[in-house]
Amino acid sequence: MITSSILLAITTFAYLLCALLYLAGVIFRRRTIMLWGTITGAATLAAQMAGIILRWRESYQIGYGHAPLSNLYESLVFAAWAIMLIYLVMEYRTKQRALGVFPALFAFLAMAYASFSTGVSSKIQPLLPALKSNWLIAHVVTCFVGYAAFAVSFGISILYIARESKKKSGGDAHSLLPDLRQLDELNYQMVLFGFLWLSLGIITGSVWADLAWGAYWSWDPKETWSLITWLIYAALLHSRTMKGWRGSRVAWLSIIGFGCVLFTYFGVNFLLGGLHSYATTK
Amino acid sequence: MQKKGFWQGLYQKLASPKLTVVIFLVLAAASIVGTLMPQGLGEAELQRHYGQRAIWFITTFGLNDLYHTGWFRLLLLILCANLVVCTIERLPKTLKIFRRREEQVDPEKLRKCSLNCQFISKLSRDETEARLTKIISEEFGALQRFDEADHVAGVAEKGRWSPLMVYVVHLSVLLVLCGALVGSIFGFKGFMNILEGEATNEVMLEGSDRGLNLPFQVRCDKFDVSYYDNGMPREFRSDLTLIRNGKDVLKRELRVNDPLTYDGVTFYQASYGAILKDADVELTDRESGAVRRLVIPFREWVDIPGTRDRAQILRFDEDFRGLGPVIVLIISRAGGEPSGSRILIERDFHGNRVENYNVRVLHAARIPYTGLQIKQDPGVWLVWLGFAAMLVGIGLTYYVSHRRLWVWAAADASKGTINVVIAGRTNRNEISFEREFNRLCGRLQAQLGQEKGGSKP
Repeated sequence: MITSSILLAITTFAYLLCALLYLAGVIFRRRTIMLWGTITGAATLAAQMAGIILRWRESYQIGYGHAPLSNLYESLVFAAWAIMLIYLVMEYRTKQRALGVFPALFAFLAMAYASFSTGVSSKIQPLLPALKSNWLIAHVVTCFVGYAAFAVSFGISILYIARESKKKSGGDAHSLLPDLRQLDELNYQMVLFGFLWLSLGIITGSVWADLAWGAYWSWDPKETWSLITWLIYAALLHSRTMKGWRGSRVAWLSIIGFGCVLFTYFGVNFLLGGLHSYATTK
Repeated sequence: MQKKGFWQGLYQKLASPKLTVVIFLVLAAASIVGTLMPQGLGEAELQRHYGQRAIWFITTFGLNDLYHTGWFRLLLLILCANLVVCTIERLPKTLKIFRRREEQVDPEKLRKCSLNCQFISKLSRDETEARLTKIISEEFGALQRFDEADHVAGVAEKGRWSPLMVYVVHLSVLLVLCGALVGSIFGFKGFMNILEGEATNEVMLEGSDRGLNLPFQVRCDKFDVSYYDNGMPREFRSDLTLIRNGKDVLKRELRVNDPLTYDGVTFYQASYGAILKDADVELTDRESGAVRRLVIPFREWVDIPGTRDRAQILRFDEDFRGLGPVIVLIISRAGGEPSGSRILIERDFHGNRVENYNVRVLHAARIPYTGLQIKQDPGVWLVWLGFAAMLVGIGLTYYVSHRRLWVWAAADASKGTINVVIAGRTNRNEISFEREFNRLCGRLQAQLGQEKGGSKP
């Protein structure tokens, strides 16, 4: 019988395959290989969706009955899914296949960390009373859609900086990759999208915290770090209106911003603790 | 004169977008310091962890309560001033553009637009005009026309109000900060622990050792916790009764994530615990072998029968390092200095002994208490309003951009054809607009050139 853990294990390797196909397509400059990357990515996304739904059902069968968004393992799985979903939508809308390497790689890394790290328990656990609320779904989904958009933007930024340095050193332009102006524009759109969802995530968290603890903001480390992330991306969005700040500086800010995302997600759990401590492992 | 210069200089500084970015980054950096340095440490804890120099530094800059220091608030104030000044500077210009309706089209300007296309229509003027209007209206939006005798001209636009959304976002930030300010001035935050069966109106205020008396009493009629199989708490709830002037005015059960509001004060089920009422203890005298059983009330001296010794339970902990509940029992022999030890309640443990007695706790009677978080915040609706405005503002900024399309068509008398120029401009998301523009131009070219079969790719 197919269980969620089998499907999610398959997903992990399928994302690796997907990333390798995109990479091979870019290296050998073959559109067909990249098309296979897209197909693999879309199929994996569907399989993973099925895995998540199955896990949801299994949690009801055990008797706990909650959406699979409650601990580190489940959030990593959802993050991988969201990264791939956002990337594929972007690919469909911009017809730019060659950007798939990084998102697929990030999705694989998230899944691999979730599956193979000894610190991450994949067991379905019951919910603490504080988490029993429909706000859980709204809060986690919005936050992670935001994080995923920033992950995609991070990939675009790396590509931007790499292309720019290659251009400066007089290297040839890669025919399959978007040019610098397009990358900058895509990056801005992606950051704005992520900013919208991060804001939604912070706001849903805030409204929920007011409902559960009676304080919409308590400077808990997780809250504060999400605000830091928000501030960095707000700085990025504003800096684009200034002369000479397009391009590589924006790309660097996006990279710093994604560093903040990672710290908000992992660093706070492992190093700082606080109200969100249930998001760690055990 | 000099004074005016200062204020003008300040105003200009506050109007600069660079300042915005700098404040964002400084706020971010300050917040990072606040998460790395534990917040809320008292004098004693500081003494234990830090050296004299570090303590001076921490207390001078308020790093142990960073988010409530004057300088952090000053940063927020500068951010607000920056927002307001930038709005004063820019909003009139944006509104002017918003209100302005274009009334003529200059073909030379269109040709200079980065997005433009030119082609030749082989249809009649009337037919060209009709198709242009129809296709643009279908694909893009209503075409406003201002033709003159020798040419056809028009403009179509979408999302004209989208540049205003930035101001909505800025206003939303001000609303949220105002709401927080109102809450911190006129509201309070605190907690109360109520023993099951008892009533109180005393609230311990957060972050201070002062209390506050509510104008009504809160009684906890019953407190209940349920657990999962693995021992994690599944749910906890208190049955509360609010009493005003000796009369029960409200009865309700309070659960996590389901607060109760009465008279502007909101109660949240936050925590729970138990205090010890008394313990039924068996003491075995290791010298004589005599076994005595007695009930010791919490923090009261009790004589051990048949001896001149006395016992007291000094402390009770629901859990001691994962070993379960524990009491601290002290025994004073024949009026001498008391000595004590931790006694594990649920485990047989060789260390369960004090003086010459082996101790076994047969039963520990607890009284549960419910931990309530209490707050009054008259500014919270401003915060919610700000949140809503922020989402609308950012959402529409992302999803809608101001896109304009100009058309100009005039007859070329010498060839008997019509020259068409189309140009487009957007304030955001150029790539998707470019695609839209190219698709539209492709369709127009195909449709307007098709009659005589001369359309270009």
